[in-house]
Amino acid sequence: MARFVAKRLALSVVTLFILSVIVFAAAQLLPGNVGRNVLGPFADQASVDLLNHQVGADRPVLVQYTAWIWKFVQGDMGQSLQYRVPVWSLLSDSLVNSLKLAAEAFALVVPLSILGGVAAALRQGRLADRAITITGLSLTAIPEFVSAIFLIVAFGVFVKWLPVNAQWPEGTGILGQMKYLLLPSLALVMVLFGYIARMARAGTIEALSADYTRTAYLKGLGTPTVIRRHVLRNALLPTIAVIATQTGYLIGGLLVIEKLFNYNGIGQRIYIAAQNKDVTMLQSGVLLVGIVYLVATFVADLLYSVLNPRIRFGSTE
Amino acid sequence: MDRETRRQLEHYRREEAGPVENAVLDDLFDAEMDRGQFIRRATVVGFSASIIAAALAAAGEAELAFAAPEAAGAGGRLRLGCIPPPAHGLDPHTYADTGSLVTGNIAGEMLLRTTNRLTVIPELAVSWKPNKDASIWTYTLRRSVRFQTGQTMRADDVVTTFKRLVDPNSGSQALSAFKGVLSPAGVRKVDDFTVAFHLDAPNASFPYLTSSTTYQAIILPANYALGTYEKTPQATGAFKLVSYTPGVGATFERYDGWWKGRAPLDGVDLKYFSDDAAVISALLGNQIDLVNEIHFSTGRALFNNKNVKIFSAHGATHRLVPMKTDAPPFNDYRIRQAVALTLDRPAIRKRLFNNLADVGNDSPFAPVFPATVKLPQRHKDIRKAKELMAAAGKAKGFSVQLTTYKAFELPALAQIIQSSVKAIGINMTLRILTSAAYYAGSQLGPPDGWGTTPWLNTPINITDWGGRAVPNVYLTSSLQSKGVWNASHYSNKRFDRLAASFVAAISLKDKRKYAKQIEEVLLHDTPAIYPYFYFQLGGGRKRVRGYQADPQGAVYLSRTSLA
Repeated sequence: MARFVAKRLALSVVTLFILSVIVFAAAQLLPGNVGRNVLGPFADQASVDLLNHQVGADRPVLVQYTAWIWKFVQGDMGQSLQYRVPVWSLLSDSLVNSLKLAAEAFALVVPLSILGGVAAALRQGRLADRAITITGLSLTAIPEFVSAIFLIVAFGVFVKWLPVNAQWPEGTGILGQMKYLLLPSLALVMVLFGYIARMARAGTIEALSADYTRTAYLKGLGTPTVIRRHVLRNALLPTIAVIATQTGYLIGGLLVIEKLFNYNGIGQRIYIAAQNKDVTMLQSGVLLVGIVYLVATFVADLLYSVLNPRIRFGSTE
Repeated sequence: MDRETRRQLEHYRREEAGPVENAVLDDLFDAEMDRGQFIRRATVVGFSASIIAAALAAAGEAELAFAAPEAAGAGGRLRLGCIPPPAHGLDPHTYADTGSLVTGNIAGEMLLRTTNRLTVIPELAVSWKPNKDASIWTYTLRRSVRFQTGQTMRADDVVTTFKRLVDPNSGSQALSAFKGVLSPAGVRKVDDFTVAFHLDAPNASFPYLTSSTTYQAIILPANYALGTYEKTPQATGAFKLVSYTPGVGATFERYDGWWKGRAPLDGVDLKYFSDDAAVISALLGNQIDLVNEIHFSTGRALFNNKNVKIFSAHGATHRLVPMKTDAPPFNDYRIRQAVALTLDRPAIRKRLFNNLADVGNDSPFAPVFPATVKLPQRHKDIRKAKELMAAAGKAKGFSVQLTTYKAFELPALAQIIQSSVKAIGINMTLRILTSAAYYAGSQLGPPDGWGTTPWLNTPINITDWGGRAVPNVYLTSSLQSKGVWNASHYSNKRFDRLAASFVAAISLKDKRKYAKQIEEVLLHDTPAIYPYFYFQLGGGRKRVRGYQADPQGAVYLSRTSLA
C-alpha cells in the first residue's frame, strides 16, 4: 500500500510540473499584453511599456517561468498584475466558494444518481428503468446554460422562491449559503445525474449477474443484504472513478454557471485573469485547480484500492 | 425686466465679465442660442444663477426655474448591480472602464459636475472664471469640504490631484482629455482656496474637463498614497467606500461629514456582474434595486416590465466605423461614401436600441451638442452607392474584412453592415475578437505611425467611444492627421485647421460656423461612419427614487432614496 501511495504521489508531482509548463506557455500565447490591458486602449505606448517593465512582463519567458514556479512552490503566488493585491487573497475566497458549490452539488447529485442508477438496474427493462434512464439522458443532453436559465426564470424570477444570484450577502449563515447555492447546484445535478446514474446502473447490472451474487443468494442471504454487501460494493467502483473525474469540472470548470449565477468561483477568476492577461493569477489559479483535481483523483484511487483489493495487492496493474 | 435686474446685468458686463462671458451674452442677445443652449454655455463659463436669470429676462426668455427634487425617503441600503467589474485597482487617475467609473464616483467628487443637460454646476469649486482669452481659468474652492479622513480640502489637494492627472508618467487615463490643454506646470495654487489653471492653449470648454465628464478627476488629499483608494475612505462624497473585493463587490456607508448634508440612503451594497443575463435576472428577481447600465439588445426583458423603471440619458456615446483611408479598398472617398449609403440607420436604431438613440450623420457632432449644425441626413441609397462604386472602378465589388470585438451590440452591428454592403457587391467577412485581442499590440501614434493594434490598423472596424460633453476629443484624437487614435489614418489639412479653430472658438456662433464646415468635409470624405449616438440606459426597481442616468454611465446616489 505504501508503495502504491508513493508511486501515485510521484506521478502527481510530475503531472503538476507538466501542467505548470503548459499553463505558463498558454498564458504567453494569449493575445494582448498586461500593460495595455491594465491601462486600457487609450493609454499611451510609453505608459504601457513602463508598466510591462515594472511587472516584469518584458523579461525573457524562461526567466519569468522559473521566477514564478520557484515562488509558487514556496507558497508565494505573487501579486495580481491586474488588481495589485496578493493573488492568494483573491484565489483563496474563490477556491473556498467553488468547493462549497461543488460540495452542495455532490451532496445532491451523488446519492440521487446512485439511488436512481441502482433502482433502474433492479427494475431493468421495466417502466421505472426507462423513465430514469431517459430522464437522465435528456437532462445531460441539455446544455448547462439552458438548464440554468430555466431554473433562474422559473424559481428566481417567477415564483421567487430562490435567489437568482448565488453570491450570498456578508454574514449569511451556512444554511443561508446553502439556499443561495441551491439553484446552481440543481443546474449541476441536471447535468451530472444522467451520467453518474448510468454508470451506477451499468455497474449494478454487471454485479447482479456476477457469480458471487448468485453464490450469495444460494447461501440464503436476503435481497437487501446481497445488494448492500455484495452488489453495491462492486457496482460502485466505476461510479467512484466517474465522480472523481468530475471534481476538476466542478471546481474549475463551472464558468458558465458562475457567470449566470454571478458567483465568485475560481472558474470566473481564471477566466477574467485570462481575459486581462493577468498571468500570475491565471497560472496560479489553473495550477491550484490542478492540485485540487489531483488530490481528488488520489483520494478516489485510495478509496478504489480499499474497495478493490486487487489494485492494492497487484500494485497498479 | 425691472430696472434693478438691468442695472445688475450691465454692471456685470462692464465690471466683471471678460470677453468670454460677453461673447456668451452676445450669442444670447443675437439669438444665436436658445434658452437651453445659453444656460449650458453660461454654466460652463461660470455665470452665477442671478446673472443667468438677469440675462434670460433681458433676452425676453422665461427665467430660471428649479424643479423640486423628488421626495426622498430616508434610510435603507441600495443594492446596486454594476456591469462590468473594474478591470484593475481603484486609483482614480487610472480609471479606464465602466466598473471603475461607477465604483470610484459613488464616493468621489470633482470640482464641477456636468448635468445630463450638459450644464455645469458647482461641486467642490464654488465659482470659476476665465481670463480674457480663456487661457487661464481661476477656480474658487468651497471652504466647508472635509475629506473622509477629516482633513479640510484646500488648494494644495486640488493642485496635487490635477498635477497627477496631467503628468505623462503617472499612468493617468485623463491624459487624452488634457493633452495639449494642460501641463503639470500650469496647475498653480493662488491661495489656500483658489487654484489657477494656466492652459497650454486657450480653451473655452475647459470647465468640462474639470467636471464629472473627466471621471478620473476625483479630488483627493495632497498626501494620498497610490493604491489606497480601496483601503481607506479618503474622498469627499456622500458615501465612504468601506470594503472592496475585486470582481465581487464593494460596500459604502453614508459619510456624515459630507459638505452638502446627509444623503437619504444609509449605504450602498455594490455587486459586480460580468454577464448581462445574470444582472437582468438579478433585477427581475429583486436581488438588486438598480443596475448601472443596460442595453436594449441584451436586456429586452426589462423593457415594458411593470416592476422596472428605465432611466435614460441623452448623450454622445457612439460606435465609430473607421475606414482606413491610406490603403485600398477604402483609399477612395467614393467607396467610403458608398458603404455609408448602404446603411438603413433608422432601422438599425430601431433594431438595436428600440429607438433609444439618435441617428448619426457621419460626423461626431451628435444632436446633443449645442454647436451641432443639422445638415441633410444621409439616407440609405443603394442606387447612388452603386454609381459611386462604378465611378471608383469597383462596380463588381471587392472582398474586405471588418474587425471588431465581442461586447455590447458590436457583433450585431457588424452583421448588419456585412449584410448591407452585399447590395453593392462587397463581400465582407467578420473578425470578432476578444476585447484584449482587439486592443492588443502597439499604438505609437504619429509621427511613428499607429503601431500594430487591430483597432487602429484594420481596413474597417467598429470601436465603441464613450460620451463627452464637447466633441473636441473626437475631432482631435480620432480625425485630425496627427490624432493618436486616428483609426481611419485620415489626413485632410483643411479639416485639421477647422478642428483647431473649432476647439479654440469662444462664441457659439463661431463654433457653429466651424462645426458646419467640419460636418460638410466629413460627409464628403467619410473617413468614418457614425451610425448612431445611443442613450445611456440604466434600470431600477420601482422603489428607487431620485435617481437619474448619467450620459457617461456614472452612478450618482447622493440624492437617491428608496420608497
